[in-house]
Amino acid sequence: MTDILRSWIGGALPDWLIVLIAYLLVTLIVLFYAVGNFIMMVWAERRVIARMQDRLGPNRVGPAGLLQPIADAVKMFTKEDIVPRNADRWVHLLAPIVALAPVAMMLAVVPWGRGWEPIDLNVALLYIVAVSAVSGVGLMMAGWGSNNKFALLGAMRAVAQLVSYEIPAVTALLTVVVLAGGMSLLDLPYMQAGVPIMGATILCGDPAGCSPLLYSTVTSFPGSPNEPVQALDLGLGWWVFTPVGFLGFLVFFIAALAEGERTPFDIPEADSEIVAGYMTEYSGMKFATFYIAQYILNFALSALAATAFLGGWQGPGVAALANMGGPWVHVAAALSAFYLLAKIWILFFVMIWLRGAFPRLRVDQLMDFAWKLLLPLALVNIVSASLMVGLTQWTSAQWGGLVNLDGFAPWQRQLIAVLVTAIINIAAAYWILAINQRPREAEWDEEELVIAP
Amino acid sequence: MPSITEAVPLPWVLTLAGALFCVGLFGALSRRNTVGILLGIELMLNAVNINLVAFWRYLEPNVVAGQTFALFVITVAAAEAAVGLAMIIAIYRARQTVNADEVDSLRG
Amino acid sequence: MNTLITVLFLIFAAIILASAIMTVTVKNIVHAALWLISSFFGVGALYLLMEAEFLGVAQVLIYVGAVSILILFAIMLTRDLEGSQNRQLTPRWWIALIVPAALFSLLIVPTVMTHAWQLPPPPPAGQPPAISGAQQIGAAFMREYLLPFEVAAILLTVAMIGAIVVAFEERERRRRVLTLAEQVRLRQRQQQRQQPAPRPEPAATAVQPSEATGSET
Repeated sequence: MTDILRSWIGGALPDWLIVLIAYLLVTLIVLFYAVGNFIMMVWAERRVIARMQDRLGPNRVGPAGLLQPIADAVKMFTKEDIVPRNADRWVHLLAPIVALAPVAMMLAVVPWGRGWEPIDLNVALLYIVAVSAVSGVGLMMAGWGSNNKFALLGAMRAVAQLVSYEIPAVTALLTVVVLAGGMSLLDLPYMQAGVPIMGATILCGDPAGCSPLLYSTVTSFPGSPNEPVQALDLGLGWWVFTPVGFLGFLVFFIAALAEGERTPFDIPEADSEIVAGYMTEYSGMKFATFYIAQYILNFALSALAATAFLGGWQGPGVAALANMGGPWVHVAAALSAFYLLAKIWILFFVMIWLRGAFPRLRVDQLMDFAWKLLLPLALVNIVSASLMVGLTQWTSAQWGGLVNLDGFAPWQRQLIAVLVTAIINIAAAYWILAINQRPREAEWDEEELVIAP
Repeated sequence: MPSITEAVPLPWVLTLAGALFCVGLFGALSRRNTVGILLGIELMLNAVNINLVAFWRYLEPNVVAGQTFALFVITVAAAEAAVGLAMIIAIYRARQTVNADEVDSLRG
Repeated sequence: MNTLITVLFLIFAAIILASAIMTVTVKNIVHAALWLISSFFGVGALYLLMEAEFLGVAQVLIYVGAVSILILFAIMLTRDLEGSQNRQLTPRWWIALIVPAALFSLLIVPTVMTHAWQLPPPPPAGQPPAISGAQQIGAAFMREYLLPFEVAAILLTVAMIGAIVVAFEERERRRRVLTLAEQVRLRQRQQQRQQPAPRPEPAATAVQPSEATGSET
């Protein structure tokens, strides 16, 4: 972007101004992209959930109710902005902004398509985790500033949930860091090239005879001494197809549901218990800001899950188009952006589906689920991930690797690694589930039991 | 390649860190509320960290010692905040106050 | 570009100092904590300006995401409504003002300004300076700083356990609310037990669920 602007108006403006304008333009594009998706998500959620509950949903404004979000927005804008008399005015005003700003900042590091990445930050995964933790401060401000007990209770619940589920989410993302050998998000889609399960390990035997439509150059692991290789590339070597990636994806997606306060985990705004949680005292634009923050958080977390485990923009045909060179590179970029968007929307559909299917958890169930099930699974998964990397990348005695697999071809190593990690992960999952499901009647002291009527 | 080492002289950064340290020291000495004292201490720790990072960046950018040390300071600060706040909550349970000058006997 | 960096530095410095001064002077302790968060953010931005990306992000993650939320929780658990507004500072707060002011103006500023700093020579033009980043830090933690790293891990574990032990509130009765499946199983068990020798009273006492959940959370 900076270079395009330089070629257009270079010389007319000082260089730092051009850089600033380029950054602002990129920011605007990303924000509009997210807000456009937000509008469609609100509509889609209402229609889909209505369909699941045998209703019609919004269907009057525009074709199939497509303009309903715009009507909602007009209503939100024109609503009276109410501040409770004993509220802390400034904290009450700033809370929605503090909740929205970090969520918007998360969008900056996601690669939206092949070559369409806003900024290249080499600590991008840590950055996303850090920034998403900040919105907890906004929720706390909303709860405290509203001077309302439901708001304070909701904020306490929300922050406790956010902090608890951040740990499994981060631990699940650590598997990706181990697999990728770095924290940059930009490399992740490139590394998930190849074919399902085997990844980019089916090499091209004869460099002259391999069609660039099927084979492409893949850098498998930046930290390892392995050279870039020509491998069979269908754009489907997503990590979710390996045992490590599958477990990581499962843990991360469930934790993301809790962080985004989606339905099985929507305890902070349980409307049958505490009105609307921390949003109780908000109306008009401030309420809309919280609403936007929540949906964009879901959007960003879906994008992160898609990039980290589902291959990001990677998909069949992207590498082939990019290998054809010339203007086809831009077609490849557009196709890749479409793939990422499709993955985000599939994940979002699953979120709506879960909302239609499951009731809300209790607070103690929520905490048990995070600490006794998700966290142990994620920890085992880190061990599996390091074994995976050890068995596929660091296998030669001359590099001081884990085991000596010198005579094996890459696909054989990959197969061994997949089998080993599958055994470990399945055994661990079975064991942890069994521990959690063991009836605890033996420990029951019957004097202390409480039977709900 | 523009960098902060050319744009901002080192004494400016150190002065900023010193000022932050002194503000934090004032807060830690003057507040009655124990949570307020803790806030002052956090400010002082941050000032120290700014100093460490500044020395790393200006004097030895290719050695990791400065950043590592700053990370250890952050770790210790987090542990200190956790234990300190737990103690404040325990004191509050026993005395129904969080003011440092009202908690003046050793018996709990 | 250098002007831009200077301006950014001055803005961040102003944010850090102003928020810090507000932190130590405002009456409301919740506002003080929020100003502290703003100061933390300024410090994080300053780290990013000094090209310590990992540290800047870690600052935001640990201070803003964890420590300040901990502080806010602690404030809300220890709020005394009537006594919080009357007097925030100690009686002889002016001594507390003199000491840091003297330290700053008599010791820190003269030392920092007059010392001749041995800055390394700037790298040759066109070549990026060698700056250690996240990867070097990770390698250092696994090699020369392995022992301090382990000690820090133990410190955090001990601090966590200590915090839980100190702040833990011993409850007189620990009750558990049963799930529906557990209730069914319990009733079945009671019935089985009652069949051979029927007792006059059921063993389990039924308590209202609302107070039970209250004690549980």
